[in-house]
Amino acid sequence: MSPVNDDGHYEVFWPRTARQTQLRPLAPRAHTLDGKTVAQLWNYMFYGAEVFSWLEQGLKARFPGVRFVSWNEFGSIHGTDERTVLAGLPQRFKELGVDAVISGMGS
Amino acid sequence: MLRASAACEAAGIPTASLVCEGFVKQFAATSVGLGVPNIPHALMPGHPSAQSEEERRRNILETTVEQVISNLTRAPAAANAQAEPAARDIFFVGGFQAVNRHFYEHGLNDGLPIVPPTRLAVEAFLRFTDRDPDQVLGVILPDSRAATIWSIAVNGVMAGCRPEYMPILVALVEAMVDHEYGVEHSGNTGGGETLILLNGPIVKQLGFNYTQGALRDGFLPNTSVGRFWRLYLRNVAGFLLHQSDKATYGDTWRVVLAENEDVISRIGWEPASVESGFAAGDNTVTIARYLSGITLASVSGTEPAKMLPYLADALAKQASWKLTFTVGPHGGTLRPRLVLSPIIAETIAKAGWSKLDVKRFLFEHARIPAFEFERMLRDWTDRPTWNLAEEVQRERLPKLFHESDDPGRLVPVFWKPEDILIAVAGDPLRTNAYAFASNGAVGFPVGKRIELPREWDRLLGESAQA
Repeated sequence: MSPVNDDGHYEVFWPRTARQTQLRPLAPRAHTLDGKTVAQLWNYMFYGAEVFSWLEQGLKARFPGVRFVSWNEFGSIHGTDERTVLAGLPQRFKELGVDAVISGMGS
Repeated sequence: MLRASAACEAAGIPTASLVCEGFVKQFAATSVGLGVPNIPHALMPGHPSAQSEEERRRNILETTVEQVISNLTRAPAAANAQAEPAARDIFFVGGFQAVNRHFYEHGLNDGLPIVPPTRLAVEAFLRFTDRDPDQVLGVILPDSRAATIWSIAVNGVMAGCRPEYMPILVALVEAMVDHEYGVEHSGNTGGGETLILLNGPIVKQLGFNYTQGALRDGFLPNTSVGRFWRLYLRNVAGFLLHQSDKATYGDTWRVVLAENEDVISRIGWEPASVESGFAAGDNTVTIARYLSGITLASVSGTEPAKMLPYLADALAKQASWKLTFTVGPHGGTLRPRLVLSPIIAETIAKAGWSKLDVKRFLFEHARIPAFEFERMLRDWTDRPTWNLAEEVQRERLPKLFHESDDPGRLVPVFWKPEDILIAVAGDPLRTNAYAFASNGAVGFPVGKRIELPREWDRLLGESAQA
């Protein structure tokens, strides 16, 4: 006697929905950091203050002309006002002549 | 951090993102939803919190610096979009076991069997809303997917909900997409879990448990609606373990907590929904993420002033590292939730105390010495050292936190009495309470009114007979 199939038959939908973001191009890169201004953005986690100071040390050793704008200029990028802070970044970068950003810490 | 990097790239500024080794997979998964799957990162080996200063320095100088330079000076590889099914595509055809195996293999369920979301089942749910199935309530990070009415119905079916729960599910997703809640933080390492609090006549209409065992699975509406929440976080928001969900431990979903409004009404207190800005008697959901909870057994006594120090002590002890939500960028966002059993609430009310009286007492007594407050921030968080006097001087903290220079002065954990949220539920005749530890701004309380369909009563009657 063959076994009875009591497992049913189901045509089922996908439970996800379409992503609302398209692929976005990344910013063009410069060939060197010499003469460039690099801003630091920090979420106030994981020893970022000292990490940024070591990064400054390491980058200046390779690119003596690189300049930095401290994370102090921007406040936390992970606070209750994250959306406001991020929305204001392009204008702040223009004012400060920022060419590149190092963003930390974690993920 | 990645959201900041993506914003910079969109503004034409190249970035290097500093990613700890344990976060590389989360960074990769999250970057897809932000539309920048090829955004580069600079690795920080291990985790800085477990390294000596010398180890951290060496790792940065020997590994991270070179990668930062590469991130900022070399063009990243081009990215390709991934093809996905459309919402109304039949995704799979097969028997119950095969459907569940397929969903599990594609990361679409929580490890338990789901109810297959067929057209018939989904349409039954859609009858319980007057909204257009294609209406988009919002776009949810990290996957940046559209929160549609259709997808709510599909995931509601999967969770084992009944069709008449649909109005609650819609309200929940409206709360999920509210920026104040901060759903994008749901994959953080603390792994807090959302508590859904239900108020209004709908509690009884749909048979939610609001008495003994109020936080235990075992009642269909409480359990299945709780499960829906996490399925929706998985399938539409995109929080998957080992990818974008970085919970160090995490919790299973919480069942819905329904407030005992019979007792609330009898003692003349306002239901918890009023704390969220609604009128007593409204059908509402209130969501918030909590990191843990403490059961307070045997809250004995007949006088509030003798009963409440026990609860205040629990609130103060829960603070610990979470003081980072009292001071700093997330300052003033702690919102603990106390759940009182009915007999406790009745005893307090009998003494003439309102809910606000209780909150004021708890605010006055949930305090710790200033030196201990500062020590916990300094030693138990990775943030810069905080000085309460300085924070008050800069007007980043209420004056209450520095009324003198005495390091032994008692300072509050919260900013004001109303920050302490109170609900009444649980075993009516047991003098126990429960204190949920707030996750601050990353899962901030948000309430929404539940919108019933025009034909609610008729539909409910038909569903009961089905």
